Amino acid sequence: MKKRFVDSQYVASLIGLISTMLFLFPVYWMFVTSIKPMSAIFAIPPQIIPREVTTEAYIDNILNNPEIVRFFLNSVVIALGTLVLTLALAVPVAYALARLDIKGKGAIIGVMLVAQMLPSIMLALPFFLLFSHLGLLNHFIALILANTTTALPFAVLVLRPFFMSIPQGLEEAAAMDGSNRFLTFVRIILPLAKPGLLTVGAFAFLFAWGDLLYALILTTDESIRPLTVYLYTFVGQHGTNWNSLMAVSFVAIIPIILIFIAFQKHIVEGIASGSMK
Amino acid sequence: MESPLSAVKRPRSFKPKKRLQKDVVGKYMFVLPGLLFLAVFMLFPIGYNVYLTFHNVTVFNIMSGYEFTWLDNYKAVLTDTVFLQSVKNSIVFTTLCLLFQFVIGLALALFFNKTFPGRGLFRALLLMAWMIPLVITGTLFQWMFAGEYGIINHFLLWANIIEEPIYWVSNEQTALYSTIIANIWIGIPFNMVILLAGLQSLPTDIYEAARVDGASKWRQFFAITLPLLKPTLFILVMLGIIYTFKVFDIILIMTKGGPLYASTVMPFYAYEQAFINYNFSIGATITTVMLALLIVVSLIYLRIARKEDEA
Repeated sequence: MKKRFVDSQYVASLIGLISTMLFLFPVYWMFVTSIKPMSAIFAIPPQIIPREVTTEAYIDNILNNPEIVRFFLNSVVIALGTLVLTLALAVPVAYALARLDIKGKGAIIGVMLVAQMLPSIMLALPFFLLFSHLGLLNHFIALILANTTTALPFAVLVLRPFFMSIPQGLEEAAAMDGSNRFLTFVRIILPLAKPGLLTVGAFAFLFAWGDLLYALILTTDESIRPLTVYLYTFVGQHGTNWNSLMAVSFVAIIPIILIFIAFQKHIVEGIASGSMK
Repeated sequence: MESPLSAVKRPRSFKPKKRLQKDVVGKYMFVLPGLLFLAVFMLFPIGYNVYLTFHNVTVFNIMSGYEFTWLDNYKAVLTDTVFLQSVKNSIVFTTLCLLFQFVIGLALALFFNKTFPGRGLFRALLLMAWMIPLVITGTLFQWMFAGEYGIINHFLLWANIIEEPIYWVSNEQTALYSTIIANIWIGIPFNMVILLAGLQSLPTDIYEAARVDGASKWRQFFAITLPLLKPTLFILVMLGIIYTFKVFDIILIMTKGGPLYASTVMPFYAYEQAFINYNFSIGATITTVMLALLIVVSLIYLRIARKEDEA
């Protein structure tokens, strides 16, 4: 595509920039609050552009707060675990639904649609009772399993169109060369589906990263609780220390900002294709 | 489709001990783990949930023994005034969120349907708002909705829309609306992306024909864009209902369902009954009623969708 634009398109860019900035004002407000000194937080009128900038909220609550590293790492473990389990389960199912001649395809797709609509709260209660029977409360595995129920149906529905868009002849050519179905899938199809896998992986990670309900219900042990629960209790303890709250919040969304910048194109397309099919 | 060669020639690296019955079993091995997972971690929990609704399980008797109570839980829930208020709140919450998310999302989608530099980046940045953990969005909006120091009140006072600061989240009249506004903000980018995908799939030649015929932009929008967008709109309304109906975190963070249940929606009430009052069976009954409502909505949707297909 040629990268030449006319003036009216730059005007559109400007409008796009302004509307994006207006829409993301809350995120700006989060950041600005986090770098204000306590006295400026309660200034009337509020300082839209801070008069004085300080990193004290970050120093007090992040640098001088070793426990936050643990919460952060717990979130990483839970989110990565969910990512791996979701991909391991969803990828073969999505491939089979897109390409293999299996019975009950329609029913499986229907099950995925229904599974996607289940409210977390509806599963949280049986999970709590089930995992307490199994002695799995306060284990990462409980949170990974619970979060995978959120990510799995979505992943299957997003990945299926990705697999369908891969040229059909490839599998036949591979079969001619003597490759069996499993090897063809691993060596030929998976590398081609990489953008889909990245999108779904990013979503599984982010779903689990943002989960509060399961973490609140399935864990009581501080040593495995994720960042979201830390934030939740932090709100209770620090009440109106808004600069501290916003500093911790801002650190918690850094992974999201990074993932979105890295995968922006794939993510946008992924949501659209997964929801439309 | 299946090449007979695949059974004869094998790459050297692959040495199975026993051959499976042709490829039939192999095919189903792709779906088996995923379906097994769903059966154990979704179907079983739902079944267990329904089982709970017919018993009187609480945190106190779950070990010592509980009883079969027929439909008592359903009777209790359906005559509970707080539950009925939560149903009403859920309907208000879902309707208003859907309406505003859609209108604003459509306006943005129409704009982002043009080609201009930076479009992809802006679109992704907007979408980021959708992926921020709800506990953070909730805390952020709580801060913006704060009484005397909140930025929203500041803007409203400055624009002379209000004369005194409103204590948004702690006022019985406004608590639910403050959570609705936060949730609309979260949902706009999702609506925009889906609508944009719908717009981009529309054929362009119709618009050219319309332009030749001298149809105005507005006329093009109402006579061509909206009718062609109908399938996308159906999906969006359906997904919107499903996603909005289960909103829980925002309520927990911003208002805790209060004051006086003014912002208690169904999922929050289920949470409160199950995990604050430890009345497991009542909590399960509320979520089962929710599921029933969602199933009804989906069936209506499927029916309309099928009629659309036939038409």
